Amino acid sequence: MTRKTGQAFLAAIGLILGIIWMFPFYIVLINSFKTQRDIFINTMGLPSKWVIDNYITAAEKLNIATTFFNSLIITVASVAVICTFSSMAAYALERVKSKSSTVLFLVFATAMLIPFQTVMLPLVAEFGRVHMLNRIGLVFMYLGFGSPLAIFLYHGALKSIPRSLDEAAIIDGCSRFQAFWMIIFPSLKPTTVTVAILNIIWIWNDYLLPSLVINKKGMETLPIMIFYFFGQYTKQWHLAMAGLTMVIIPVIIFYFLAQKEIIKGITAGAVKQ
Amino acid sequence: MKRLMCLIFTLVLAVYLLSGCSGGGKTANTESKNAAQAEKVTVDVFQFKVEFKDAFESAAKKYTESHPNVTINVTTVGGGTDYGAALKAKFNSGEEPAVFNVGGPQDVAIWKDKLADVSDTKAAGQALPGLLTGVTIDGKPYGLPYNIEGYGLIYNKDIFTKAGIKAEDINTFEKLEEAVKTLDANKSKLGIDAVFALPAKETWVTGLHMSNAFFSPEFDGDIMKAFNAKTIDFKYQDAMKKMLDLQNKYSVQPTASLDYAAQVQKLFGTGRVAIIQQGNWVFPDLSKMDADFAQNKIGMLPYPVYGYKEDCYPVGVPMYWAFNKNKDPNTLKAAKDFIDWLYLSDEGKKIVMEQFKFIPAYNGYPSDAVSDPLGKQVLAAASQGKAINWVFMGYPDGWGMNKLGQDIQLYVSGQLEWDKLVDNAKKTWAEARK
Amino acid sequence: MKKRKNKNAWYWMFLAVCLVSLVIVVFIPLAIGIWYSFTDWTGINNPTFIGMKNYARLKDDKLFWHSLLFSAKFSAVSVIAVNTVGLTLAMLVTRNIKGKNALRTIFFMPNLIGGLILGFIWQFIFVDIFDSISRFTGIKAFSGWLADPNTGFWGMVILAVWQMGAYVMVIYIAFIESIPEELLEAAEIDGVTPFQRFRHIIFPLIAPAFTINLFITLSNGFKLFDQNLALTNGGPGNMTQMVALNIYQTAFGESMMAYAQIKAVIFLVIVATFSLTQVYINKKREVEL
Repeated sequence: MTRKTGQAFLAAIGLILGIIWMFPFYIVLINSFKTQRDIFINTMGLPSKWVIDNYITAAEKLNIATTFFNSLIITVASVAVICTFSSMAAYALERVKSKSSTVLFLVFATAMLIPFQTVMLPLVAEFGRVHMLNRIGLVFMYLGFGSPLAIFLYHGALKSIPRSLDEAAIIDGCSRFQAFWMIIFPSLKPTTVTVAILNIIWIWNDYLLPSLVINKKGMETLPIMIFYFFGQYTKQWHLAMAGLTMVIIPVIIFYFLAQKEIIKGITAGAVKQ
Repeated sequence: MKRLMCLIFTLVLAVYLLSGCSGGGKTANTESKNAAQAEKVTVDVFQFKVEFKDAFESAAKKYTESHPNVTINVTTVGGGTDYGAALKAKFNSGEEPAVFNVGGPQDVAIWKDKLADVSDTKAAGQALPGLLTGVTIDGKPYGLPYNIEGYGLIYNKDIFTKAGIKAEDINTFEKLEEAVKTLDANKSKLGIDAVFALPAKETWVTGLHMSNAFFSPEFDGDIMKAFNAKTIDFKYQDAMKKMLDLQNKYSVQPTASLDYAAQVQKLFGTGRVAIIQQGNWVFPDLSKMDADFAQNKIGMLPYPVYGYKEDCYPVGVPMYWAFNKNKDPNTLKAAKDFIDWLYLSDEGKKIVMEQFKFIPAYNGYPSDAVSDPLGKQVLAAASQGKAINWVFMGYPDGWGMNKLGQDIQLYVSGQLEWDKLVDNAKKTWAEARK
Repeated sequence: MKKRKNKNAWYWMFLAVCLVSLVIVVFIPLAIGIWYSFTDWTGINNPTFIGMKNYARLKDDKLFWHSLLFSAKFSAVSVIAVNTVGLTLAMLVTRNIKGKNALRTIFFMPNLIGGLILGFIWQFIFVDIFDSISRFTGIKAFSGWLADPNTGFWGMVILAVWQMGAYVMVIYIAFIESIPEELLEAAEIDGVTPFQRFRHIIFPLIAPAFTINLFITLSNGFKLFDQNLALTNGGPGNMTQMVALNIYQTAFGESMMAYAQIKAVIFLVIVATFSLTQVYINKKREVEL
């Protein structure tokens, strides 16, 4: 098999997998243009009549500008905090080999295993008692829940960054802090982007935690508002799917851009070397 | 290691102290603010009915217009999660709402430390007879009904006419069975997939509503008897088996994964099945799909309990408004006044009838308060003594859905014998009430 | 001595914020939860101490043990399936093929929707669309997937693979792309087969990714909640109920908060033992490679 046919073969496999992966999205997109009745009569096919109204109603009910902003601010703040402090913590744990660093690493790992539902009520009670149930409280909670995985990832990535790099800087008179932020952190860029992506999608979509913590009108995030399309008995699929489409698009754009950034970051690093 | 522990404790302590301080400061602040605007009252309402969120919020707004010193904050819990979980979290967070929802005696028992007596409200005096029983302890009522709902077997009039069946004549189980067989025999002529759509995936339909009709006679229609029962006899299990078997045998298959949307909107709403077990709450969903169909082409057959009442409809209160007794008297008063206004003032009545489209649970509404065909039938049944009381809110917490309803799923898919289901039901009920 | 102290100072400073947040957000609530497990707490009342009573009823709770076993089975199967698919996808999109960036985005898209809604969408697919396929082709196997515990199990595995496959893919990609280009080029010049290239060059270099991904998929498999609730809600007959859902139902469905906390503690001990053992073994293997 020549290189070219091999690649064509792989591309074909990619195409088929891509189609399979896209199928549920096709369902969401196509049904977002249907009337409620049409969705139930004809789930898979194209709409018998294209309805744009779903989008207008959904945007109105979601109060989309405000809600979008709320989600954005919480997501950006949380991810920034997670990346900053987790990379530092991972650096400390990876560079210092001691009993405490081993134990702490395992403590962080264990924290990932705790099902959220089991700490939910005590957590809300604890934060409620000190009046921290608001956006800042929420960001702090995301740091607590998000840092273990981030530390895990940074820890793995730090292994391939030679110690000589930061140690040289320190000998040159840099403080640890400077050495980390000026030399180590930039070379962790691909990991930072990965950590950011994984956390953005989690926080952007999280429903349960914000629904417990955010209790002021006008501060709701997108998932909270989307769930108003799902009632006690009935689900307003036509509105929910239109809403979902609007919510997903910015994230897809972000992901696509971030991906280019990763690739750029890697090539830039290669040139420097 | 010791040093590590020390450090953690110091840090935690520091954070706690810091946040504690700021928290304290905040309370002091709000208190002084409250003093400045003495008569201003804020009522937080935490409610579960997503279907009437918008209408309810606009009602609250309307109330504020005529009562400028009162602010009403409505929080609604979105679908997909449990109202009970969200409510517990809300209470634990210390930001307790003034008004929330309870379902019946089981909820009242759980929440009793928080519930305020409502006998001083006008609404309690105007509630239709018997509706407060389920929320009354020692003669004191602790909740005000939302509305009345009822269910039965909703049928498609066109299909019945085509098959030559007169719906008015069906007033016993045997006649129902006969009609079902006629429909089944003419499936292709009538253009239906099956006679029924039994949504066994929705354990509230089977485990609560269906079972309710057969447990109600066992407890003489008294929800408090159900609530106080340590054990059950399952006296009407044969009648229930008949009904379940009939609905399952002639249903679109497989029933164990059939849900509400498929049952009501996809199958019944598009004429693919002739009969479904549901209540008057399906009207808005059907109406949104086809207004003419919902208004003119559907009716409700009675829900026959073989050997008991075979021409009646189970009718009851789905939810009650409850008030938090830990709130200060001013807030509590404002909260109760709001609910009184909503159900008893002329302005409020109009909202309840026209926007909520509720079947009213209070006196003083016009006889034509309900405009949809299903609601009318439920109201008629209630006023003609053709009602079977709801007792399922007196089941042990979670029993109907998580135990009985789940076992019914196994039964309808042939993985559990009926006798075993009955045994399990008796055993799990007794365990929960130990 | 002084030097050592300095060294420690920066170490703790770097760790402080994460550590504090973790303790406050996870461990203190957990400790409170464990205390509650010895009481009769319902989530609302003032808890009274009742000792080991809650623990005693655990051994007769068949449903709990069933859900634990079901979760274990699900985790084992999904860990293998998700990682196989994730690594395959990562290998595919790191090759120089047409449209690889678009493919990465497509594969990753399932992660852009929250678990509950994904569960609802797949319910739509398994119930409605599979049913149409079954009617169209006459193949019975497509009908009633969520009405049967076995196919319900596989339904959940499919959903997990579809969603998590690309999640681990992203992590594999990050590691694959950090492999120096020269290494792979040198290998190509030496004429190694693609399989050898994978086995002897790529595989050892992405070992840390393995450790991370196995850990993530294992813990996610055990913790899976949203998808379980939305897709099958434990049905039929609680046969597809996983531990997290069982705990949730006990806590909120039956208002036995304290009893649910115990289940959570037991569950945590079991999962921690499994996962940490696995991390330990993988760490050792990483060193050996």
